[in-house]
Amino acid sequence: MTTKHKSEPLAARTAKPGGRPLGGRVYGFLRSIPTWVLWLLVIVWTIPTFGLFVNSFRTRDAQRNSGWWLAWQDNANGFDFPTIDNYSAVLGSEATGGLWNGMLNSASIAIVATIIPIAIAAFAAYAFAWIDFRGREILFIATVALLAVPTQVSLIPLLQAYATGVHFTLPILEKTVTIFPDLDLAGTIPAVWLTHTGFALPFAIFLLHNYIAGLPKDLFESARIDGADHFTIFWRLVVPLSLPVLAAFAIFQFLWTWNDYLIALTMIGGNREALPATVVVASLAGEFGLREHLLTAGAFVITLVPLIVFFALQRFFVRGVTAGSVKG
Amino acid sequence: MNRNVIIALLLGFGLLTAITVLDLLGSALDTDLLPFLSDRLTATITGIVLAVGLSALIFIGANKLFNLAESHFVVFFAVIGGVLTLALFGLLWGNQLIVSPVVVILIATLIGTATGFGLGVVRDRWQRLGVGLAGGLALGLLTGSAIRSTAWPSIDALAVVIGLAVGAVIALLSWQLTRRRVALLPLLFFWLALGWLWGAWLAADLTGSKAEASVAAVVLGLLLGAWAGTVAYPDPSAKKQIALGSRKYIFLAPALLFVVATLVIPLSRTIWLGFLTGTPRNLEWTGLSNYADIFSDPNVLDLSNWADVFTSRLFWGAVVLVLIGLGIGTWVGRTSGSGLGSFSVSAGTLSFIAGGVILVGFAVFTVIRGTISNNLWWIFSVTLFAVGAGLAIAVLADRSKGENIAKSLIFLPMAISFVGASIIWRFMYIARPPQNDQTGVLNSLWVQIGEWSASDSASVVIAVIMGVVILGLAYLAWRGFSAGNNSVLGGSIALILPLVWLIYRFLGPGIGGVIVDPVTGEVMANPVLFLTESPWNNWWMMVVFIWIQTGFAMVIFSAAIKAVPDELLEAARIDGATESQAFWRVTVPQIAPTIGVVATTLIVTVLKVFDIPKVMTNGNFDTQVLANEMWQRAFTELDFGLGSALAVVLFLGVLPIMYLNIRRMQQQRA
Repeated sequence: MTTKHKSEPLAARTAKPGGRPLGGRVYGFLRSIPTWVLWLLVIVWTIPTFGLFVNSFRTRDAQRNSGWWLAWQDNANGFDFPTIDNYSAVLGSEATGGLWNGMLNSASIAIVATIIPIAIAAFAAYAFAWIDFRGREILFIATVALLAVPTQVSLIPLLQAYATGVHFTLPILEKTVTIFPDLDLAGTIPAVWLTHTGFALPFAIFLLHNYIAGLPKDLFESARIDGADHFTIFWRLVVPLSLPVLAAFAIFQFLWTWNDYLIALTMIGGNREALPATVVVASLAGEFGLREHLLTAGAFVITLVPLIVFFALQRFFVRGVTAGSVKG
Repeated sequence: MNRNVIIALLLGFGLLTAITVLDLLGSALDTDLLPFLSDRLTATITGIVLAVGLSALIFIGANKLFNLAESHFVVFFAVIGGVLTLALFGLLWGNQLIVSPVVVILIATLIGTATGFGLGVVRDRWQRLGVGLAGGLALGLLTGSAIRSTAWPSIDALAVVIGLAVGAVIALLSWQLTRRRVALLPLLFFWLALGWLWGAWLAADLTGSKAEASVAAVVLGLLLGAWAGTVAYPDPSAKKQIALGSRKYIFLAPALLFVVATLVIPLSRTIWLGFLTGTPRNLEWTGLSNYADIFSDPNVLDLSNWADVFTSRLFWGAVVLVLIGLGIGTWVGRTSGSGLGSFSVSAGTLSFIAGGVILVGFAVFTVIRGTISNNLWWIFSVTLFAVGAGLAIAVLADRSKGENIAKSLIFLPMAISFVGASIIWRFMYIARPPQNDQTGVLNSLWVQIGEWSASDSASVVIAVIMGVVILGLAYLAWRGFSAGNNSVLGGSIALILPLVWLIYRFLGPGIGGVIVDPVTGEVMANPVLFLTESPWNNWWMMVVFIWIQTGFAMVIFSAAIKAVPDELLEAARIDGATESQAFWRVTVPQIAPTIGVVATTLIVTVLKVFDIPKVMTNGNFDTQVLANEMWQRAFTELDFGLGSALAVVLFLGVLPIMYLNIRRMQQQRA
């Protein structure tokens, strides 16, 4: 077989020796198929979100009358379009939705549950990468292995701890010692902070460690020769150099905690005052049919913040998602 | 004074103030003493600032503190003394063992700080012992007078003797074990103190007098004071060692503390709770009965209809697909002679075989029902489809026009919450009553297709259009055949077959969401009840998850494909490989480890799927999954035992993946 050069068209190279090559027009048609398929998929992927967006500006009756693709006929049919009534209702008082309160709670949960794990994990990742001590390897692998542990295994004991404290009955002596006092955390936002912080750490340490361990060794050696201690190195060198990965994790964790449903639902439970937006909207969804027209606006409101973060900081978010997986 | 000292002192006081303020704030918010904080926005911001500020203070404070060990040892020791006493008395407070805790804790912290200061200044052995004993005595007296009457021990001489003896033996043993390299006296006093604590307090009945409490406390204080007083004054190198060696603990302690407190300990406790039964306040040992309940429940795993697998159309369709795939692969491999042995791996053969595997899976999971079967079905479909679609899109998008826009639109669902996605898709799946217009995209399309197929003129028009497309594809197949291009030939035929089938359906028995009344010929809409018709409602919920996770898989595959060295592909092309051969023989093996990583990550995510079933059906209509079952048992029925057992089942499910992850990490780090 003769060696073929790259610049020859695909059809020529895929031809069997002696066979007639595909014609230029057929070849061009075939060549364009992947792009068409790709954009078809993109449209399919976008339709659900787009439909919800359109519907959120339609009245209840309009939503029940026709599909969102017929929204342009709404005014002719006597419905108001576009209208922001759904939004004002769902963001307003408790009776109609109470989502504004939920948004504040979500912000409180997500901001704190992002900052604290970053700080803790950055310190730990630095220690695992650049401080020598016995058992470092095993400790690191053990910590990161916990990444796969499902949240569910911790929920019951943690809720018990928040509700009644942690008490340990000494064997034989029959005396109960309180290790963690009953702070009445169940049903409060701090309970969610603590839970998120703990659950985020294995992934955070893994992600930050990969990056921090890859920083050039000379940097640390010269800094140490200049007499810098670990804290100075960490604060003056590692943190500024790791800003991209810190940002990546921050965005990942912010979206994760903002979007979280399970932990908030479990730890806050019945305390309506402290519920984040996801739980508020999900409880609206529980009464499907009754206020489903509000659900469109509600779902879009809770999606709005992640969307803004996503489009503004996509580069970092993608890095956060990929950094852990490509070549470890 | 040095700037650092001032910072350290400020940090210490800041910490104390912050704790007090936080405490006050909690009570104030209840009683509304601070009206300006009742505004929710202010309260939210205050909470955020306090939580973040507090953790920053602890971190920076601890580092600044140990920085002082080398340069300002006195300050360092004073703060250490204060913090240790604070922690100790905090523990007493937490156990509600002392009266008027705030005042006592303040005084104790002051005494501790003063003792630490003294030990940091005085270098003479006897003077140090004196300082230590004085501090211990003061703290002991304070404790003795502040301890609640419910904790007054009635001291039992025998227990005290045993406690002290055991303490002494442990001290001597550990001294021997360390080959006498550590100083004996501090070790001895420390263990004697613990022995006294055990003998005089923990082992005693709490029915004693105040005098006994004072004695117990003072002796304990003296022993601890003696321990602190006999620790030698560190020389410069030892001070440096304190400053350096402490770092790993400071850096790691918070992370490990959180990981242990929220993952390790709760995990062990959940395993333990899985063996108990009863109400949350009254749990009793019941052995494996929770697990027996889980696995004997037909709602969890129902194997009774397993034989139906072999009568299902899905299964036989799968057999046909796999046979076709194997046949084509062997035939192409023989004729082109370029396959692996005599079998050719290509997009065509693989998609037939993969289609067969998917159909077999669906045949099994639609017949074998129950929660566990649902979970396995979720894992099966989401992993296969998200990996397949993600890989396909990554390949399609690679270096095409508008790659970035296309990729970010596909990736977008990753940013949306599961709750939001569930609601978005509920609107896609809405089924309105037959007499109304359908407002969900899918049912609207489905009913429209049905109406077309029920109308004679429309079905003929559609059949003609499809016929034209078939002719075009046949032409393409012929060109592919004469060019010897198997993928063009195979692809065209693969598209023609379903089109022929569609024409048959349109002209013959009909297709789509309508019912035609056999007598009157009246056409009625018959929408699909996507979320209530079992077992396929499970699949429609999986679609939501696939919609979300495909973006994740795509982004990672895209990065991996771009990381494949160009030289490798170039070399393959120069050796005469076609584009598809280059992809299957070079790119795929290069990204194979990434496929593994994505698949395992997806399996872990899917296994604990909760939000989507919870919001879309709440586990009704045969869509229960383990995580939702666990949540309902534990938190609506308050059956902690059964809930824990279900959580353990989930945990056992991820164990193999944990093992794989650990192995992979060890290989990478080796």
